[in-house]
Amino acid sequence: MQSFIIAKKELKLLIRDKLTATVLFVLPFAMILILGLLLGEGFGQKNDDLMRISVLNLDKGLGLNNKPWAEHAIDDMVSTPNIKVEIIQTKELANELVKTGKRAAVIIFNQDFSDRVNECSFLSTGVNPFHRDGIYLEKLQVSIVKDNKQPATSAIIESVCQIALLRIVMPWMIGKAFEKLGDPEFIELLGKEVSLPIPPSLRLLMPKEKIPLGELLELASGKDVVLAKNYREKVGQGIQTALTGQFKNYNLTGKSWASLTRSINNTETVKTLTTFQNDDGTGILKRGAIRYQILVPSFTVMFAFSLILISGWIFVAEKRQGTFNRLLSSPVSTPSILLGKFLPTVIISLFQIFFLLALGKVLLGLKIGLPTWSLTDWAIALIILPIATSFCVASFSLLIGLLSKNETQLALFSSVPVCLFALIGGCIFPWEMMPDNAKTLAFLTPQGWALDAFREIMPSSFDNTTDFNLIWKSALVLTIMGFILMCVTWITLGGIRFRSS
Amino acid sequence: MTQAHSVILKIDGLTKLHGQFKALNSISFNINRGEIFGLLGPNGAGKSTLLSILAGSSKPHTGTACFDGMQIQPNNLKLRARIGLVPQDFAFYEDLTAKENLVFFGNLYGLQGTLLTKKVNEILEIIGLDDGKANQYSKYFSGGMKRRLNLGIALVHSPEVLMLDEPTVGVDPQSRNRIFEAIKTINATGTTIIYTTHYMEEAESLCNRIAILDHGEIIACDTLQNLLSLTKTTINFSIIENDQTKAGLLQQKLPTLKQATLQGSYSLASHNNPTPEIINLLVNEKIQIISMQLDSPNLEKVFLSLTGRHLRD
Repeated sequence: MQSFIIAKKELKLLIRDKLTATVLFVLPFAMILILGLLLGEGFGQKNDDLMRISVLNLDKGLGLNNKPWAEHAIDDMVSTPNIKVEIIQTKELANELVKTGKRAAVIIFNQDFSDRVNECSFLSTGVNPFHRDGIYLEKLQVSIVKDNKQPATSAIIESVCQIALLRIVMPWMIGKAFEKLGDPEFIELLGKEVSLPIPPSLRLLMPKEKIPLGELLELASGKDVVLAKNYREKVGQGIQTALTGQFKNYNLTGKSWASLTRSINNTETVKTLTTFQNDDGTGILKRGAIRYQILVPSFTVMFAFSLILISGWIFVAEKRQGTFNRLLSSPVSTPSILLGKFLPTVIISLFQIFFLLALGKVLLGLKIGLPTWSLTDWAIALIILPIATSFCVASFSLLIGLLSKNETQLALFSSVPVCLFALIGGCIFPWEMMPDNAKTLAFLTPQGWALDAFREIMPSSFDNTTDFNLIWKSALVLTIMGFILMCVTWITLGGIRFRSS
Repeated sequence: MTQAHSVILKIDGLTKLHGQFKALNSISFNINRGEIFGLLGPNGAGKSTLLSILAGSSKPHTGTACFDGMQIQPNNLKLRARIGLVPQDFAFYEDLTAKENLVFFGNLYGLQGTLLTKKVNEILEIIGLDDGKANQYSKYFSGGMKRRLNLGIALVHSPEVLMLDEPTVGVDPQSRNRIFEAIKTINATGTTIIYTTHYMEEAESLCNRIAILDHGEIIACDTLQNLLSLTKTTINFSIIENDQTKAGLLQQKLPTLKQATLQGSYSLASHNNPTPEIINLLVNEKIQIISMQLDSPNLEKVFLSLTGRHLRD
């Protein structure tokens, strides 16, 4: 009962101190908002291990296996190690991304791309896409929108495009050319071009030194048209078989790079094909920006633990104005005094956490939880975890406040849990921006545990799954930390209250 | 009521060390129920340490302090409810009103509802904060009002013993007078008062018995009258120049008479007032007096004579 009386008084005093109350709730959100607006899209995200190639596919035609050639090209790029392909939805978006410098270049397969590839041939009537350095992109209806401020990256992207197109067009053209070896037109041409010498013993019958292959086949068929056609086909097949036998390492009819080169499917290659997602948010507040998924949990945890300073200051102020001694000389038990001091911090901390989450959700489009969560999952995320965090915060506040004899000591003592632990715990610089072993160090701090769990309930993508074991573990560790701190505080206060010297 | 029953606080051989320094050195005395007991002493004499032990906030190294037969221990919380302590420094919440402060501390001592309301209003009246000031934030109070609120908070739970540690420091005469009145009112209800002060006239006007504490020891503990009797009344007089030949006669009749530095000036100190004796002698011997001044004993003289005149830090 007396605990509630003390707690009520503490809350009343805090509410009357409007400036502090405002700072407690508004400052964290203001910091989230300011940083959210200032920081770039990639804040807090680890640099890609894969090279990102952005592609706009407008191809309307069909190519090999009734699949548009653009898709073949994309498949080729995706299958290339260390490359991931991102599909851009519209031309306007592609232009905007390049214009704003968010993408160095976007490869556009225009609507006639398949038709143009289909027309590619070594024949003089076909489209010849090759030149000394590679492929004429414009001849294939391929364009690349480039950011002139990122020439190196855009050049690399163009090279990737060139290689992909070479791997698409070259086998296609070779395959088609190989098929042409069996065509009657080719045999007829061959028949005209290739002349065989006539042995001297037969020159009485054919009074000339050489005879064209075509004429020889005519003679062999005895003017039988069907038989002549059959002979010509056999010559074509013979040439194809001979070439196949000669170039055993290649499938000259394959029409795809993998088939042409008889490549073994590399199963170790991770194929990464994504669709562009606007992680930069919309509107003035950059609503829905992915960085809020990092900023909100970070600052929620950091400012929750900043209450150590506020609550500690109230504690020190109470000592300075003598009311603490009056409390200690009252008949109220030590646990009741502790509980009375403890409850307001827990309540404020919970309010602060929910305030930031609610404001983040409403104003910043923060994603909390997953659509698959059950009611129990929500309870764990929004009740168990905040309570465990607030319990730890309040216990820490009490101990620091109790140990500090004045405001200077408080500032010094609280700088460790408020600033240093926040830094180590990943609240100031996200783990993604820190060395790999930073997260291990973070788990020495309560902020590290709290942040790990809060980030789990605010996933950076809805494709994520939630590790509730991690949340439970964090909540348990925070509770144990809080309990230990509370015990130390109890013993310390008991010593102060009933000191013998 | 026997003597044994009238003792509410029995202090027996209390010793308290602050490191090597003996803040209290085996002190023993009793405080009777219903009396106003003055505790005087120079700075560092051990008054606040003694009050701290009596309030249960500190533990002596040796000796005992018993309240109504029960030994005072820091962990005896029930006993704390029977004691009120007015600390020397202000000890209330400045962002609460006077009334809210009283209600808060009343609640801590278990008072609730109409009883609490009645008690708070009663206290506000006693300390003179019963008008519009009751609902003002105490941070806007004058020094005197703060002193009175500081007193009121210690009264709200109706303690049997009220300990005041220099409750009138830095207040104007009006507030001091109000505090005195409040103390007398409270004492009239049977509350025992332990009053610590540097102001001798306060102790003289308020206290039934007074203890003088110095260097952690009780050097005197008695009623005001008995303490005053520890020093002598001094009479100083001057006679005209022509009668100085009769000085020898005066010395003969009054052997303890001392001649002052100024010629023709004399002084005589006595436990009894020597004025009639001197006047009779001067009249009988027809010695003309220029001036005569009676220096009566007071508590300050007693205090200074017992504790010395050297400065204390």
